[in-house]
Amino acid sequence: MAVKIVTDSLSDITDDLAQELGITVVPLYVRFGEEVYRDRVEMTTEEFYRRLVQGDIFPTTTQPPPGDFVDVYKKLAKETDEILVVTVSSMLSGTYQSALQAKDRIDEKCRIEVIDSRKVAMGLGLIVMAAAKTAGAGANLDELADCVRKAIPRSHLVIYFDTLKYLAKGGRIGKAQGLMGAMLSIKPILTIKDGEMAPLTRVRSPAAGLDYLYNFVPGFSKIEALAVEHATTPDEADELVERLSAIFPKEQIYRAIVSPVLGTHAGPNALALTVLEAE
Amino acid sequence: MKPINSIGGQELREMFAAATGWLEKSSAEIDALNVFPVPDGDTGTNMLLTMRSTIEEAYRAPDHSASAVAHAMAHGALMGARGNSGVILSQILRGLAQSFTEKESFTAAELAGALQASSAMAYQGISNPVEGTMLTVIKDVAAAVQPEMTGNDKDLIAIMETVVNAASESVANTPKLLNVLREAGVVDAGGQGLHTIFDGALRFLRGEMEQMRFRKPQIIVTDVHPTKLPQMIAADEIPYGYCTEFLLKGEKLETEKIRKKLEKKGESLIVVGDDSAARIHIHTLEPGDVIAYATGLGTLHQVSIRNMDEQHQDYLEMQRDRGPTVDTAIVAVVAGDGLADVFTSLGVTAIVPGGQTMNPSTKDLLQVVEEAASDKVIILPNNKNIVATANQVQSLTEKRIEVVPSMTIPQGVAALLAFDYEANLESNIQIMTRAMSAVKTVEICRAVRSAKLGDLKIKRKQPIGFLDGDLVAVGESSLEVLNKMLSKLGLSKIEVITIYYGADTKSAEAEQVASDIRSQYPQLQIEVVRGGQPHYNYIISIE
Repeated sequence: MAVKIVTDSLSDITDDLAQELGITVVPLYVRFGEEVYRDRVEMTTEEFYRRLVQGDIFPTTTQPPPGDFVDVYKKLAKETDEILVVTVSSMLSGTYQSALQAKDRIDEKCRIEVIDSRKVAMGLGLIVMAAAKTAGAGANLDELADCVRKAIPRSHLVIYFDTLKYLAKGGRIGKAQGLMGAMLSIKPILTIKDGEMAPLTRVRSPAAGLDYLYNFVPGFSKIEALAVEHATTPDEADELVERLSAIFPKEQIYRAIVSPVLGTHAGPNALALTVLEAE
Repeated sequence: MKPINSIGGQELREMFAAATGWLEKSSAEIDALNVFPVPDGDTGTNMLLTMRSTIEEAYRAPDHSASAVAHAMAHGALMGARGNSGVILSQILRGLAQSFTEKESFTAAELAGALQASSAMAYQGISNPVEGTMLTVIKDVAAAVQPEMTGNDKDLIAIMETVVNAASESVANTPKLLNVLREAGVVDAGGQGLHTIFDGALRFLRGEMEQMRFRKPQIIVTDVHPTKLPQMIAADEIPYGYCTEFLLKGEKLETEKIRKKLEKKGESLIVVGDDSAARIHIHTLEPGDVIAYATGLGTLHQVSIRNMDEQHQDYLEMQRDRGPTVDTAIVAVVAGDGLADVFTSLGVTAIVPGGQTMNPSTKDLLQVVEEAASDKVIILPNNKNIVATANQVQSLTEKRIEVVPSMTIPQGVAALLAFDYEANLESNIQIMTRAMSAVKTVEICRAVRSAKLGDLKIKRKQPIGFLDGDLVAVGESSLEVLNKMLSKLGLSKIEVITIYYGADTKSAEAEQVASDIRSQYPQLQIEVVRGGQPHYNYIISIE
């Protein structure tokens, strides 16, 4: 029986890709005041950003409770006896804890391994997709877990934020604190380091941000896959894909949308780029 | 959620135990907020230790009435209070205890009343109450629940929600009340701690114990931007002396008299307690005098005398860990308070005052380089006459010095912005130098004398414009000069224009110049910042 792969909605894996690769995506929750929505399931990404920018309620996000994972594990246990769960960085969300907690709450005979990816967005997504392909090729749980752990340091995420306002409001600013006090309007470029959002550098305009993301890729000599994500500006992301495919014609470039959960912190106009280095 | 109409002693204890657990999760973060009254970074820890002593004592209460538990808690807090914040916290608990005297349990209205007593009690015992601290937070909380002091059928959860919301707003407002917080861009640590305790209590009442295990309290973020680096904060208040605290036990102690006596001995004096036990906290240069006086009144317990300079050093260490990597320090030469703020906000480690007509000496630069807490230092001279001086520093220090030869302020800003937190020194020098060359600088000042330069005829006091250091334009007004220069530049590749106006230039004039350029070039992003620089009316960055 093939190992089943589970991740959370912060991986930004699209429904199509999830279905194609047999990945189960457990949604986080987005809350506007009293209203609670399952990430991307009960509220479209477009609607989310509209409310984020226009509404006066600042959304908060929550991890899926362990029960959500219990349900998923039980369902999958009917089809397999090995499950691999790869979650968003435990420094950014309690999803990892929930996934871990749920492990001991099922009676079915099924081995479950939960890995904290210490990544987010496609930084997580590309790792999970690679794992799903390897699982499809017949790898067992131990081999897969090993594969994922080795892939984590090869996954490099850079995010252009049009503003730090939302990250600050959500209280997740972490080491990016140093970028806050700017008196000029600056656009920070962040990465994820040791599981936390960390500043990389700063630019003054969206175009310079796009250039930075573009120039980030040629720094790697062997590339397995690339991913480009937008929040509210698909045209900019498409432009980046176009420019990248001119210099990387053979590499697979995935397109995705920054999930509302991350969007709560990244805000509108954010762009993300992930490089998964080849071994 | 089921409303809660009354709380007895056992629930009161459990509620505060939960709040203590909640506080524990963020005590380190609260430590890092601490700048007032001295930046020693221990407020979170002090409040936590005070709460632990409070809860321990709560379990020794003679019975399970709200009165007995609250009094035990107040006693535990007094005995275990640490630091300013701990002492104020103990006063808040004492206010609750007094209000709950002889009550089996208390209602929402009674809690609202007790918080009034807590607020009043918190202000007592402090010789110089300062607003923008946890005192303000408890006062604002009391004011928020004051209308709820009557009626029997109110829900305690609802009251606590009001408390937490009021505390949250009050904490967020603390930087507006207290200058030292505003400069550091943080909220008051004690206020934050109090908010966390109330928040933990509320979550307990809501029955969220399970969720609390996997969550962390939120530190309230201020939208005030820091203008000073950690090492500059409260630097004018040095020397700090000794943080002296102890518990005085005796008979017929008169706290009011003790307070009067000690008032002149130091700062941040707190004397709280009753006639048999008093807790004393003072920042003094002569702890011996304070101790000698107190031993005449009774016995001393839990005596602690700490050198605050050392505490302050520890705090600086902690701030270094907290910020983005300072593996590499950046020193910039800047004139003008506005420009100094710009560079500081973008993360320079230190600023050496200087610029056109006021070049710093090698010694000035060397001194700042030596003080920087890093072995690798990048210098941004920001003026062509200072580049050579900066280059000399390397031969005078053991540290590794690199000069990014910025000739103008805009070049310095561009280089600083491009600094890559993850790159090594060599790469950063390349990255910064490349970024620097991508920006154009326009400087506009008044001619000091009449002159003829090539085609340009210049009259004394006429505005003249330099492009990257070369005199290229003259005109009747700054705007005219700028327009002449922009028209020659070819703006198709330009995105951002930043206008830094000088100390002698009015902001209205700068705004006028900006709006004029905006109307001519609507596609550009144009920003106006007060640079406060001498000599140049305008320094303009074009990138």
